[in-house]
Amino acid sequence: MVVLMRAVTRVLAVLLLVALSDTHASLQDTPAAGVQVVEISAERFSFTPSEIRVRAGTRLELRLRSDDTTHGFHIIGTDIDIELPKRGRGTTTVEFQPKAGRYTFECSQLCGAGHEFMRGVIIATE
Amino acid sequence: MTPLLGYRAVSRLLAPVATLLLLATSPALAQTPERPAAARRESRTNLSGYMDFHYNKVEFTDGRLDFHRFVLLVTHSFSDRIRFVGELELEHALVEGLEDAGELELEQAYVDFLLHRSFNVRAGMMLMPIGIINERHEPPMYYGVERPFVDTVIIPTTWFETGVGVHGEVGRGWRYRAFVAAPLNAAEFSAGEGVRGGSQKGSESNIGRAAVTGRLEYVGRRGLTLGASAWSGHSGFEFRPRFDVPVSVVAADARYSRNRLELRGQFAHVAIEHADQLNDALARRVGVDPNIARAMRGFYGEAGYRVISGARFGDVGAFARYENFDTQFRMPAGAVRLPQFDRDAFVVGANFWPDPDVAVKVDYSIVRNRSAFIQAPNSLNIGLGWWF
Repeated sequence: MVVLMRAVTRVLAVLLLVALSDTHASLQDTPAAGVQVVEISAERFSFTPSEIRVRAGTRLELRLRSDDTTHGFHIIGTDIDIELPKRGRGTTTVEFQPKAGRYTFECSQLCGAGHEFMRGVIIATE
Repeated sequence: MTPLLGYRAVSRLLAPVATLLLLATSPALAQTPERPAAARRESRTNLSGYMDFHYNKVEFTDGRLDFHRFVLLVTHSFSDRIRFVGELELEHALVEGLEDAGELELEQAYVDFLLHRSFNVRAGMMLMPIGIINERHEPPMYYGVERPFVDTVIIPTTWFETGVGVHGEVGRGWRYRAFVAAPLNAAEFSAGEGVRGGSQKGSESNIGRAAVTGRLEYVGRRGLTLGASAWSGHSGFEFRPRFDVPVSVVAADARYSRNRLELRGQFAHVAIEHADQLNDALARRVGVDPNIARAMRGFYGEAGYRVISGARFGDVGAFARYENFDTQFRMPAGAVRLPQFDRDAFVVGANFWPDPDVAVKVDYSIVRNRSAFIQAPNSLNIGLGWWF
């Protein structure tokens, strides 16, 4: 039992270190001047990354894909509300150029019992 | 006599909810920098659900066909900030009076007041945020026809209670939930199924002393989820003031998926204080000592791999899971430990997904216990589950 607990503790410690070493957003090299690409994956019940920090006015190219069922991507307070096809059926791209502020995004396609937890934020600073 | 509903407790629960409800509906708050001013979304209603159809052949018995779950989810957005979620579940296809048949359960029926990314309020019938399966149990999401044994007899999935609480994401992928809810009823605990029978399920629940529960979760790295959960409550309301039965549940879980590989593991521990007095009281009531333990424990590890992925006809995955679960892990003084409830299970099988939302499953469960006299039966299970 003691051996087991030690093993479990070690595994959790390693996973915690992995988690703490992570960055906010998956930012890629810009394919065109002034465009910042962010790849976002959606799975029940989270977006990864769920926090994206950019400079206000940056043209964002959000490349979204689902790792399981159909999800939605809605940036609250904007007209952006798209459907992400199921796993293996491609990536959806949406462009967004935020002014300074915080933009909450959420899954807008009911995807399961934890659907309401599926939210994230884009933080655009001056 | 313990009041059925503690007025003080209810007042304490409802006061902050009422305040936050006023804040959520306040136009002033709706224009905070969290959401730049823009057109408000139309309210809308969504219907969804999942189903589970099983064939179970347990050793030494005839096979059974069971329409295990028929679940409908409905959500309604009153606005961007106020949402309703409801989940109604029919288990085993048929509900009859007092016979041992199916169940019709209201598993979720809550309103979310979405105030800020890091702080939101929920009230109503809610899933307890314990372990992997209790909040994530849509059939195409997991390997195996039946849910893991640990998620059945140690964590009593699907575990739902009425209550109120807060949840949010605090940044860098860390999120939390913290709820005050109705406690378990210790009078319904058992030797073999642990605390499973104790859920009050929101039916005129006794909340003389409310339970508290919470979960801290990390989802900040693609494919990785780490979670730690706890639940604590006083479950002896049928025996107060003579004695009480404080119960605590702690669990830790991890999931990791990358490309075709999926790994998951979970550990859960249940502690029941005054189990000796509980056994004495129940033995006087029903004439048989229920032999309830003072501690129960279970853990499992599972590895799954999509052998075929992206084919025109769908995906195929194989998995293996080892579970250890013991509902007699630590006994109160004077009680005899029943070794048939100290069990291991090896489950192997495969899923075929013709569509990401449809899963045909098959598995074989080999169950062993520590008893020299009572054999745990193995089982062959075939299932069809879908989400829409």
